[in-house]
Amino acid sequence: MPSASLVFQSIVLGVLLGGLYALLAAGLTLYFGVMRVVMIAHSAFLILAAYLAWYAHRETGIDPLLTLLVTVPLFFAAGVAMQRLLLTRLRPATLTMMSVLLTFSIALVIEGLLGYAFSGTQRRIRLGYSSASLEFFGARIAVVKLIAFGMAAAALLGLYLLMKHSRFGQALRATIQHREAAALLGIDTDRIAGYGFGLGLATAAVGGTALALDTTIYPSLHWHWIGPLMAIIVVGGLGSVPGAAIAAMALGMTQSLLQLELSTTWAQTVFYVALFATLAVRPQGFFGGRLAQRF
Amino acid sequence: MAAVVAVALSFPSMAPSPYELTVGIAIVNYAVLSTSWNFVGGFTGYISLGHGAFAGLGAYTTALLVTKADLPSFAALFVSAALVAVLAVPVGYAALRVRGASFVIVSIALVLIMLLVFQSWSSFTGGSRGLVVPRPFPGMLRSEHHEVFYFLFLALLAVALLTWWIIDRSRFGMGLKAIREDEDKAQSLGTPTYTYKLVVFVVSATFTALAGGLYGLWFGDLDPVFQFSILSGAYMVLMALLGGVRHLYGPLLGAVIVGYGLEYSKLEYGDTPLHLVFAGLLLGVVVMFMPDGVIPAATGLIARVFKTGETSIREVTAAELREERGQGGAEPAPGSPGQKREVKQ
Repeated sequence: MPSASLVFQSIVLGVLLGGLYALLAAGLTLYFGVMRVVMIAHSAFLILAAYLAWYAHRETGIDPLLTLLVTVPLFFAAGVAMQRLLLTRLRPATLTMMSVLLTFSIALVIEGLLGYAFSGTQRRIRLGYSSASLEFFGARIAVVKLIAFGMAAAALLGLYLLMKHSRFGQALRATIQHREAAALLGIDTDRIAGYGFGLGLATAAVGGTALALDTTIYPSLHWHWIGPLMAIIVVGGLGSVPGAAIAAMALGMTQSLLQLELSTTWAQTVFYVALFATLAVRPQGFFGGRLAQRF
Repeated sequence: MAAVVAVALSFPSMAPSPYELTVGIAIVNYAVLSTSWNFVGGFTGYISLGHGAFAGLGAYTTALLVTKADLPSFAALFVSAALVAVLAVPVGYAALRVRGASFVIVSIALVLIMLLVFQSWSSFTGGSRGLVVPRPFPGMLRSEHHEVFYFLFLALLAVALLTWWIIDRSRFGMGLKAIREDEDKAQSLGTPTYTYKLVVFVVSATFTALAGGLYGLWFGDLDPVFQFSILSGAYMVLMALLGGVRHLYGPLLGAVIVGYGLEYSKLEYGDTPLHLVFAGLLLGVVVMFMPDGVIPAATGLIARVFKTGETSIREVTAAELREERGQGGAEPAPGSPGQKREVKQ
């Protein structure tokens, strides 16, 4: 039986990891909300952002956090372009299935190009504060993990405020709830859907930079992220941002606690167990509403 | 048709070297896999990215039954296919409860979970060190071995195509296609959609497992990274879509094109990450520009060039229409079903 302080440390680490999961799952939920699209390439863009942070740091020595100034707008634009130029051209009748394939092919292209440009070697950013850690009620927490969590929390809070308290957020939520009705009320739903997609991809930029701070990255890493993330959005209920956040926290913490007893790989299976159990017991997820019923 | 069969049958004797024969085997293997995939993808329109997991499971269960349970090779192959079929039931149960999106998520999760299990459980599966499968015919020369397996794969392909053809013409197949076109309507007309989807999913998994097991017996060395690769599932989708999922020979045609391209580029350029880029680009182009595959695209093009095909909108003059509706009958009000223009799918 692990000691109490070790359990406490795992819980803290689980919360920190859960924060990152929550941000990324929120991005996936946005895509699903505006377009009914399961965006397989989300985690590939995550790794792309991590690589950009690593590359900028290696070439110029700047702090990886500064790359956010470039990657967030860049990813936002890429998301809008992707929605406007690619996804809207698919046939509406088969959109769900074909968009999965399209985003899957984008993920393959990104992985292949990263492998070609930077080789398959594992990369890691070494920073002055990489090994620094804080004592927190007996738990030892790496500073970089705290920074990553802080970024994720700030981005989530920003997203929340934007969605709840701005005109754009209202329009976006209206588009997610009922696209035709929103259009009838004079909302330019095509434009809003594009921006929603861009916002989702911007979360991948923030997440990727946070990831680059304390993780070893390699081109095929995105497969280790997309499985857990998709499990989270199904458990939370497709299309529900709060559901995704709660599921992310719960599963992140479970994974972290299981790592005390099991190896890292076995602990990861908790996501898949939760995915299968949710679909067997409550297919619409635990917080999904009407929207999740049909997908 | 007969010519294609003749070429396929005489290929081993024409192949200039054992290498060409192995390329032929790989292509036929791809054809079996994508035809098996097409039982689900073509009939019901549910796209599975995780069929690689069933192929990998077929290969590994066959290998483990031969090495750990001392079963004869081909008995092991059929037992393993039966085991995979049993496993496909709960997977399908979870995956098919809800529509579309969750199905794809489960199918990808299946590959990732199998990769985790087979890599971590190395005491049983050999882990990343790999698993060697004993050859089924120990006394045979390498070239004879290839030749036998070429015909075995060809036989499996024939069985898979025949099964697809039979389902295609059956009431069961009609129900499946109704699910593809409009699941709500199919259900309200009394089609047992859930049972149908589950049955065809299990059939598809079984054929995929047979192909995977046969591959394991032929290749003789298994590694979880290749057996449970998300890419192998993606190739099945790419081949089937490229050829045309609604056609019996679509996946076969796609497998010949993509499989030849894959083997050729492996020979010429080795294994580079650019494979991923090309596979991704090709898949993207197919999805964007010809989601119905080359067979309908080509026939459509021929019809347009020679102007022989019928148009999708039926042209009728007002006189003909009046005649058709029966004289004397009251003119239906505008917007009523009688006025609906007929559009061919």
